[in-house]
Amino acid sequence: MAGDQDRESNRDEVARREDVRDTYDRIATHFASTREYAWPEVEAFVDAHARDGVGLDLGCGNCRHAELLAADCESVVGLDVSRGLLETGRDRACERAFAVELVQSDAATLPLAENSVDIAVYVATLHHLPTRAARRDSLDELARVLSPDGRALVSAWSTAHDRFDATEGFDTTVEWTLPGGEPVDRFYHIYAPDEFEVDLADSDLAVRASEVSSGNCYATVAGAEPTG
Amino acid sequence: MKESLLEILCCPLDKHDLELEDAEYDDEEVVGGDLVCTECGEAYPIEDGIPNLLPPDMREETPA
Repeated sequence: MAGDQDRESNRDEVARREDVRDTYDRIATHFASTREYAWPEVEAFVDAHARDGVGLDLGCGNCRHAELLAADCESVVGLDVSRGLLETGRDRACERAFAVELVQSDAATLPLAENSVDIAVYVATLHHLPTRAARRDSLDELARVLSPDGRALVSAWSTAHDRFDATEGFDTTVEWTLPGGEPVDRFYHIYAPDEFEVDLADSDLAVRASEVSSGNCYATVAGAEPTG
Repeated sequence: MKESLLEILCCPLDKHDLELEDAEYDDEEVVGGDLVCTECGEAYPIEDGIPNLLPPDMREETPA
């Protein structure tokens, strides 16, 4: 019986992850058009840690952050669950003449080899994974693919944002309004800052710095093996 | 995708190497074909130049 329940809940989780993918496929073009500029927190991270190696934009959307990485990295991989968003990333790379290798993938089961990534940004994506187990898996996966000296910036939306009253983390949907006025719901897990820190601490990642900025939790992290 | 990307790609399920099969090229870009896991044999399609490496249970088209 327990096995049946596990299978049932696994199907439910897969369906919820597919919902996120389908939602972003649907709103991809309009969403990308409103995501013109890189976030300053991401620019600061890339300035501090950029190197000549493999860069990863995990949850790349329209590749605005892959574009930052492309200025320094030998090669950049952009991963996203939404094919529609990857297409907007390809358009941006073409228009702005930067190189990015695009891969459709789930953030909790990365198709990248161990120690293959030197610098990664995992920004505004973790909060779309529907269960804590999936979010923790994805942090462990990031630790697995980071090289021993690699660094990543992880961010998630937080209860510290003005629009939320809660002090504990919670699941919600946030509407996206298409140009015709049609609303589309997107799943979010809004993190409490201490919950974000606990999830990171319990993962295979090693936290090097963290902050709350503009309503988001940020952490600069290293891979699984401490390098001293 | 560039063929050199294979150096760091792996099967999302068991993390083993992938082999490129039935590749179609446009200049140096691989635009079609399959990435096949050398361990479990799962085939991941390259769709218009973008490999689809979603785990198989998330790859299915959702019914309309």
